[in-house]
Amino acid sequence: MFYTVIEQVVNGIVSGSVYAIVAVGMTMIFGVLRAINFAHGEYYMLGTFGAWFAIDYFDLPYPVAIVIGVVATAMIAVVVGNFVMQRIVGAPAEAGVLATLGVALILQNTVILVFGGSYKFFSGGYIEPVSIFGFTLAEQRILIIIVGLIVFVGLELMVTYSRMGKAMRAVSQNIECCAVVGIDVSHIALWTFILGAGLAGLSGVLTAPVNVSVYGGMGELITFKTLPIIIMGGLGNVRGTFVAAMILGIAESLVATYVGLQFRDTVGFATLMLVLMWRPHGLFSAQARF
Amino acid sequence: MTEIVRDQTMTQAESAVATTGRDLRIPFGLALIGLACVAPLFLGNYPLHAIIIALIFLLPAHGLNLLLGYTGLLSLAQAAFFGIGAYTSALLAVHFGTPFYLNFLAAGFVTGAIALPLGIPALRLRSTSFVMCTLGFVIIGQAIAKNWISLTRGDMGLAAIPKPHFSLGPASFTVSGTVGFYYLVLAIAALATLAVYLIVRSPAGRNMIAIRENETLAESVGIPTWHYKLIVFMISAAFAGLGGSLYAHYLTVVSPLTFQMYYSTTMLIIVLGGGAGTISGVIFGSLLFVGLTEALRVAPELRMIAYGFFLLALVFYFPNGFAPLIGRFWSFLERRK
Amino acid sequence: MSGLPILDISGLCKSYGAVRAVDGVDLHVNRGEICGLIGPNGSGKSTFFDCVTGLARPSAGAVKLDGQDITGWSLNDIAREGRMLRSFQKTVVFSALDIEENLVIAGQMFTFPGIWSTFGIGTAARNRVAALRERARELIKIAGLWDVRFQPAGKLSGGQQKLIQFASMLMPEPKLILLDEPMAGINPKLIERVVDSIRLANTSFGVSFLIIEHNIDVVTSLCKRVVVLDQGRKLAEGTPDEIVQNQAVREAYLGG
Repeated sequence: MFYTVIEQVVNGIVSGSVYAIVAVGMTMIFGVLRAINFAHGEYYMLGTFGAWFAIDYFDLPYPVAIVIGVVATAMIAVVVGNFVMQRIVGAPAEAGVLATLGVALILQNTVILVFGGSYKFFSGGYIEPVSIFGFTLAEQRILIIIVGLIVFVGLELMVTYSRMGKAMRAVSQNIECCAVVGIDVSHIALWTFILGAGLAGLSGVLTAPVNVSVYGGMGELITFKTLPIIIMGGLGNVRGTFVAAMILGIAESLVATYVGLQFRDTVGFATLMLVLMWRPHGLFSAQARF
Repeated sequence: MTEIVRDQTMTQAESAVATTGRDLRIPFGLALIGLACVAPLFLGNYPLHAIIIALIFLLPAHGLNLLLGYTGLLSLAQAAFFGIGAYTSALLAVHFGTPFYLNFLAAGFVTGAIALPLGIPALRLRSTSFVMCTLGFVIIGQAIAKNWISLTRGDMGLAAIPKPHFSLGPASFTVSGTVGFYYLVLAIAALATLAVYLIVRSPAGRNMIAIRENETLAESVGIPTWHYKLIVFMISAAFAGLGGSLYAHYLTVVSPLTFQMYYSTTMLIIVLGGGAGTISGVIFGSLLFVGLTEALRVAPELRMIAYGFFLLALVFYFPNGFAPLIGRFWSFLERRK
Repeated sequence: MSGLPILDISGLCKSYGAVRAVDGVDLHVNRGEICGLIGPNGSGKSTFFDCVTGLARPSAGAVKLDGQDITGWSLNDIAREGRMLRSFQKTVVFSALDIEENLVIAGQMFTFPGIWSTFGIGTAARNRVAALRERARELIKIAGLWDVRFQPAGKLSGGQQKLIQFASMLMPEPKLILLDEPMAGINPKLIERVVDSIRLANTSFGVSFLIIEHNIDVVTSLCKRVVVLDQGRKLAEGTPDEIVQNQAVREAYLGG
């Protein structure tokens, strides 16, 4: 009994890490652009498809596929960033919602149109089980946890020390002031967006060997899971997002085991709605951000 | 609310004045109604089917227009209420064999009533959180439809929903053919449009616009904004429920797929594309975006991609919807004469 | 001007954590009076206003309107009654609607009691709308906005919007109007017009006023009685002349 609980918690941490890598990008994009990116899960899907394409069509090894997946996602993000996201800066919240919904529709259905809507088999990755402290865990899952930690620490260091990171923080705090002191807001917005989309792509590539199946509609589910996370984490708050992602990951895997697998995907939104009723500004946000 | 739904009333007023005393909208509207009445004479079954679908979607779109176009609240919950209406109607018909008009009214009433407990917490939230909460209704609605198997039969859905049947004393008839259903839907859509028109033109409608323009100011001139928003949310849900009921009785099946973001997006496209805050715009929007795509049998993926580009174009280039373009074209033609 | 004061505020306090923004202020406005409220920046004038008009909830004290205790009522509760209305420092109008619509909206809540008339059903409702339009047109004429009445309010100048807002507040025939810096950010040429409209509303409609204003000339010409706030407390009270002479007031403004 106890053993299963621990095992489920560990599984939860793995999926929590996956969500965290996707969600930090989304929350940073919100911080800088003040827009909820309804297309964020689509970049996760693009990352997965990029890697799947590299492995399936060109027989490339998994590590190369990771790079290709992330680079492909980032390249699409450059295009979307230039034509859509930069224009959202300073627009009303509803404009952001509608524009990113539009982007989501375009990306998802273009992929379905090109590659077909059926499920595809993802054959790369490190799926050998290893055992640590008596638990058996696939190597890939350990990799996901490690990458999650690296991303978290890396982002913390970046926003604290690097020039770009400081500028991002500045923009997320007061956009008018930044324009006055000469920070190029739309440049920062573009780079934040590319970084966020790239992280989503990375998360997609890393999860693909665990999920095994790849399909065009997979991004929507991820969007629907990250939305509650970033709101509960306090929009724009990186640390809060990490905690919220872990909580959701663990809650999902416990619900899947003890309540029923079919309820797993609703945990996020159900908790979100309860949290919003109780604290309309999220769990970790000190002040109202929206 | 925003640029998106800004100054619709103004454009309406302006266009009425601009046509130099000769308001073309009334003869044009009458011609359209006349055309709609005789359409089955010269349209085949498939185009009629497309128009039926467009008219069914007109109901939730009218509801969304009241909420988004007139009161300034962006909601994605229309699909949830559409689904609730469809299931209410289907369950009543399948389990109790109740007549169509009863199911139809019940669908509107039940969705309106469900919107009350959902709206109370949701409307306390602002902008993005409100949008998110309404999206949550769709996702949770779908989960319930999938998992409450004893009631909804899960993914299998409910089938063999009877076609509308009317009996008046000894006379009774079943609306089974496309043409019959077309007239039924046309009548309902016309009534719904009339209802929206009456609401919008009334003092209540003016107060809704005031809330859209500036909520704090509306509050400070004594408009009970909270009650207004809640009631409009319920009315808009009821409209969606009525649409869902028609959808269920027309297709004769419902499944959890009725609760899909796709439907919410479609309704957004209809309202924003036609012109939020105008009634004729929404009618135009549903005929164009739903009717035409259905009639042309556009592949679903292509249709969604087109919707995506429409959304981007609407946000960045046509904040008043595509309808004013038609208006401009119209006046261009007139000037050339 | 006998009887109860129209507005009677006693011991009003508002604290944010340890900071006392308003600290036990007593103030009353007599019937038919134009009372001024001045004070240096950060003296708590706006907080005081917000507490009186229901935008903020006072920590302590009582607000009586026309003898009725309205402490803790929300802005909307107060506005719906139509007896006391307030303006905002930043002028706001329903920008997509024309002036007449703006005024009709401002007036209608007080004349539509039933659900049917709210939806415009029945002759009574139509007559009411017609009456509202009539009154709106009258006020538009008085405010000198007749020529621009079909323009969307958002397209007019700041001063004109101020006049619209002022005319809107007269729609429900209130007894008391609280103005938050009515002269802020308007063209000096229009100041005289706004002053005139306030005086006109006071004399012909019998509306009492409480006005926050920095422009001392406006205060002197309009108000018979001025209250000075400083650091959340009432510093002085008297005729404009007395206030200008008052040593403590001078120090508060100069010493900061």
